[in-house]
Amino acid sequence: MSGNNVRGPTSALTEFLRSSGITATTIARRVATRVQTQTPNQQDQAIAGPSTSSQNATAESSSRRVTRRRSTRASGYASDELDDDEEPAVVPAEDKPMDEVEDEAPNPAKKRKLSKAALAKSKEAAKANAKKGAKKGADNDMDDEEDPYNALSRSMWTNESSARPSVGSFEDCAVCQKQFTVTKYTLAANPPPGFLCHQCAKAGGKDPFKKPAPKKRKAAADKRTAPTFDERRFPSLVTMCIQLITKHINDIEALGDIGTMNVEAISKALSKNRGLTPENAHLFYSATNTSLVLYDATNLTSPALHTLALLNPALTSLRLDFCGHLDSSSFPAFCDFLPHLTSIELLGPFLIRIDGWIHFFEKHPCMERFLITQSPRFDLECVKTLVKHCTGLKALRLKEVGKLSDEFLEELEALNQLEYLDLADPSTSCSENAVSSLLTKVGGKLKHLDLSGHKELSDEFLFSLASHTGSMESLALNGLLEITNTGLAEFFGEWGNPPLTKLTLARNSELGGPALQALLEHSGAQLEELSINGWKDTDEESLRMIGFRAPKLKRVDVGWCRAMDDFIVKSWMEGDEGPKRRGDIVGRLDNLREMKVWGCNKITDACPRKAGVNIYGVESHISR
Amino acid sequence: MTDVEIRNEPKDSDWVRITSTDGFSYLVRRKVANVSGTMRNMLDTTSNYAEAVTKTCPAVNRHSRGIIAEKLVEYMCFKAHYETVGPKEDIPVSDYMERVPPEIVLELLLAADYQEM
Repeated sequence: MSGNNVRGPTSALTEFLRSSGITATTIARRVATRVQTQTPNQQDQAIAGPSTSSQNATAESSSRRVTRRRSTRASGYASDELDDDEEPAVVPAEDKPMDEVEDEAPNPAKKRKLSKAALAKSKEAAKANAKKGAKKGADNDMDDEEDPYNALSRSMWTNESSARPSVGSFEDCAVCQKQFTVTKYTLAANPPPGFLCHQCAKAGGKDPFKKPAPKKRKAAADKRTAPTFDERRFPSLVTMCIQLITKHINDIEALGDIGTMNVEAISKALSKNRGLTPENAHLFYSATNTSLVLYDATNLTSPALHTLALLNPALTSLRLDFCGHLDSSSFPAFCDFLPHLTSIELLGPFLIRIDGWIHFFEKHPCMERFLITQSPRFDLECVKTLVKHCTGLKALRLKEVGKLSDEFLEELEALNQLEYLDLADPSTSCSENAVSSLLTKVGGKLKHLDLSGHKELSDEFLFSLASHTGSMESLALNGLLEITNTGLAEFFGEWGNPPLTKLTLARNSELGGPALQALLEHSGAQLEELSINGWKDTDEESLRMIGFRAPKLKRVDVGWCRAMDDFIVKSWMEGDEGPKRRGDIVGRLDNLREMKVWGCNKITDACPRKAGVNIYGVESHISR
Repeated sequence: MTDVEIRNEPKDSDWVRITSTDGFSYLVRRKVANVSGTMRNMLDTTSNYAEAVTKTCPAVNRHSRGIIAEKLVEYMCFKAHYETVGPKEDIPVSDYMERVPPEIVLELLLAADYQEM
């Protein structure tokens, strides 16, 4: 008993008791009923304890006494209230007849001796109002012995090491009654009371030296294999077809005529699941090809891209998505063997070096469309060469180009033919002055402008945009947090530009109703695509207005507009009855094809649907 | 009455019809049709689409010839049959692939892409 560390088992016991429905209050009540018959001696002891005002005033006097005594003793090493809360199930031994305790304890005499010493000690400590109180060990023993529930449940919680007397002490064998020395191999008798000497243990068929069985729980955990991925044993039909195409690629006639219309569809199908490989890419190559689009060139290695340039000499337009393998060894082929190229669109040309770009621009002075996304090496020198050689450039995209800066914009001012300009998402925003200055030079002919992510742009920029552009068709200003509701409303109010067909103003969380109404007023008549994703405070009335003011709308993204609900969707889909005549339907979006409502959690499963309109992002539609 | 009951509780053993644009039609179990993600959505009884109500699916959106629809159905039966076999058992994938003539592979690819399978 003496070497017993009780704190763990006690709280486990508390847990156990709690699970069996025994709590501090039930015990308090039980003790309270019992204490009516208690001796005055015990009452004295109780009163002698120090008072702690934090105790529950409504509790019965005895329960107060119990906890108070405990907290006093506990204060020596853990004086916080946690202890009181944690171990309220303890009932002192005095509340219970002593013989009962004795019956339950395996070694009554010894225990009583110990407990008496401890009791005396703790009483002293309590009386002296000492903060340090009893020693931990003694206190623990006290708890053990005081707590009748602990004693009761010992048979359930027992583990041999704790039940066994200390090593080196003497014990009488439960079978042969001989005295023997307790060792760490001593086994408990089965059925329980007492312990066995070595001979009796062996005679009973148990091996005292047997090591405890390895923990079973751990073995079970080992056995379970977490499926980190699903092995696709069964190939999809698409994969099989791609395999077959690859197999027959050298015999293209066998595959029959692709037909020009299908090329794009096949290219898309092949690009899914990274299906396009250096082998089957030949399907799309031809010496007479003028246009080539590969949607996923991830698996086309540098030599394969070199081959691409060699096998499609007539290309005027080339688009490669995910062309990360395009590097200094293959890009020169694009420069030298594609002389007619006027339009190039690359997504992710990370590895092309500065001299590669410069060489390319020198070889392609007739370039009209130069669209690149994500090119960290593209720098000021590249821009200078671009502007110097490709003077007729009509479309320029330098999206997510890390080095984009005000100096870039100064160079771009010379490109006065520009119709399409996309400088979205730089790593650092360009300044308002530089952007305004660029717009004064190139703004006149611009049809599409994307300046998303230039965080420094504010309402001032909108003024220069309004005054220097006049033929815009499409505008994207995502994530310009400086722009205000009134600023944007004024901008659309003043702008002399004809109505836009495409407008993306996503993730401008400051914008709301007034801006939306102003933009609908300006562009609603021709608007086909609209994104107000993230305009969280847009009011319901303004959202409903979309249906009335933008009859040509095909795609709309109203994600995270919190006022969106089923009724607005219904009015867009089915319209409302007009005020003038019965049967008049107004506010219906007849051309609507796609609606994105991610994060509009007022939209429920009951939201209306219509043939031909795809609704994406309804939370309750997530299935399978 | 029975119709309503069936619609409420779709069973794997229901018969559904898969049609091609040139007039062929194939009757298969619902379980087989469910191999295709597109058809599963079409036949989803909670959605009340015409396909779900009549239990008839067009095999391919456009260019659907009988032979393409037949190959699709063949693959669907093939997959529905072998999907549940144990890991030890061999799946004769190459046998199926041999039965696909190269002339229709591209068309089949487009159809398979559309059918999400």
